[in-house]
Amino acid sequence: MFAALWEAYKAFGRAVDDHVFGWRLPAHTDDASMPHISTILGSFSKAEVRGRPGIVGGAVLSGSWFTLRLAVTGLIVGFVVGMALAIIMCRFTLVRRAWLPYVVLSQTVPLIALAPLIVGWGNRLKIGSVHWQPWMSVTGMSAYLAFFPIAVGALRGLQSPKEQSLELMDSYAASWTQTLLKLRLPAAVPYLLPAVKLGAAAAVVGAIVAELSAGVSGGVGRLILDYFQKATGDPARVFTAFIGAAVLGLVVAAGVNGLELVLTRHRPKAAL
Amino acid sequence: MSGPAAVECRGVCKIFNQGKPNQVDALIDVDLTVEAGEFVSLIGPSGCGKSTLLRVVADLLPPSGGSIAVNGKTARQARLDFDYGMAFQQAGLFEWRKVIKNIELPMELRGWDRSKRSARSREMLELVKLPEFGDNYPWELSGGMQQRIAIARALAVDPPLLLMDEPFGALDEMTREHMQAELTRICASTHKTVVFVTHSIPEAVYLSNRVVVMSPRPGRITTVINVDLGERSEDTREDGEFFKKITEVREALRGGELGATARGIEDR
Ligand SMILES: Nc1ncnc2c1ncn2[C@@H]1O[C@H](COP(=O)(O)OP(=O)(O)OP(=O)(O)O)[C@@H](O)[C@H]1O
Ligand SMILES: [Mg+2]
Repeated sequence: MFAALWEAYKAFGRAVDDHVFGWRLPAHTDDASMPHISTILGSFSKAEVRGRPGIVGGAVLSGSWFTLRLAVTGLIVGFVVGMALAIIMCRFTLVRRAWLPYVVLSQTVPLIALAPLIVGWGNRLKIGSVHWQPWMSVTGMSAYLAFFPIAVGALRGLQSPKEQSLELMDSYAASWTQTLLKLRLPAAVPYLLPAVKLGAAAAVVGAIVAELSAGVSGGVGRLILDYFQKATGDPARVFTAFIGAAVLGLVVAAGVNGLELVLTRHRPKAAL
Repeated sequence: MSGPAAVECRGVCKIFNQGKPNQVDALIDVDLTVEAGEFVSLIGPSGCGKSTLLRVVADLLPPSGGSIAVNGKTARQARLDFDYGMAFQQAGLFEWRKVIKNIELPMELRGWDRSKRSARSREMLELVKLPEFGDNYPWELSGGMQQRIAIARALAVDPPLLLMDEPFGALDEMTREHMQAELTRICASTHKTVVFVTHSIPEAVYLSNRVVVMSPRPGRITTVINVDLGERSEDTREDGEFFKKITEVREALRGGELGATARGIEDR
């Protein structure tokens, strides 16, 4: 489907030489900018760029796997941080008033500006005998982007129970922790799932961008850059890395969807 | 009567937003005693403070003045001791819990062990005549069935007092009459004291030993009507005495409004 559109657009662009009624088409369609699908697929089995063993497909696969692990770790860290923030903000109204603006503000700092900063701090950081590893910066970046939708979604979910349900728990003399575990958290699940989906997408983007600025090698983000720089003669190769990154996003999304199916199997369909 | 009254209100006031322009005198100087084993209904026009009175008794809202005793203790102590169970207009079952787990909620909060919980919740399902629905989810049940589960949940840890806020308000007439009969049966077999808020005059008369009539702005008790219809059955609804009491309550409700108007004129 996508491949067909790609080729159709390319064919059309070639035919009109990238101009329609004097307007430039939004994307170049020459072979350097938009290689044929077959060329891209063919590149997967080509040999790697200088000095590196194996084929392009293998490098893309292992790079994607590397980035996937970093992004998933980042997502998990972001989830824990986001949940903790949401629970604290739900518990203390004052904290919510004081913190929520900063939580929102945290996301307006541009990613590109932030990534080198995190890397810089990280390099100077040392916890006990453990040195900060560059991959930790990548994970940190993922977590930084993922925690936001999760914190906001979780806070909404934790505050979603009706007054009557809260009164019911009060009438049982339930403690705040009991109310959290038996009412607020289960009630938050339908709010959390879309938030985790957003968080997962953000974690993948964060990992790829952070790889570039942290100079961590081995990931698909780095691969995109490498192919850009070293393989100008073979533009199709860059697209193989793009496909790797896209598949990576799909895998993470599929994982979250699987989680959703498990968590919502006993919920009324209308409520979702 | 031996033992302390189930509920004892003396001069209870509740003023929302005191001192602000949107101040509401929800309850003014309410005296009400409910003896153990009694069934008392609160009736009155919307906004007269019925729910507020119930919440103050349940210690879900602090009173602005006056004193409240439940089973001879403070309202707070009674709440901590699980002396009452509550039911609301919406059944309010937790949709992520099976029916049986909903009934077990108060038992979990009291720390009962699993076998005691499941034995008791099965028993409660029998009591509300839904034994085969324990493993369903709440949204698979009709409104009336959900409300019965909510009552089972309120009764689960066997509190001596039931506080009910229009529990049948959202049900259709047929289901409603059926539920009323069920509630009288359950209360008779478990010797409960009940404070019951309703908008329906026949419902109040059918269920109660006493009907407390309230009037709004400020919320207060205007009349208390004793009802003595003997054991309730379907025939009770055709009884002459039943209709007489309905008329009496209706006139008390009207009188409350007329009285308020008359006093307004007098003050001027
Ligand atoms: N939390 C609150 N804050 C401010 N005012 C309130 C609050 N709760 C209730 N009130 C006011 O107190 C008055 C009594 O309310 P209450 O809910 O007790 O009435 P009610 O008799 O139960 O009415 P209904 O029959 O409609 O349920 C109303 O005027 C209402 O607006
Ligand atoms: Mg009410």
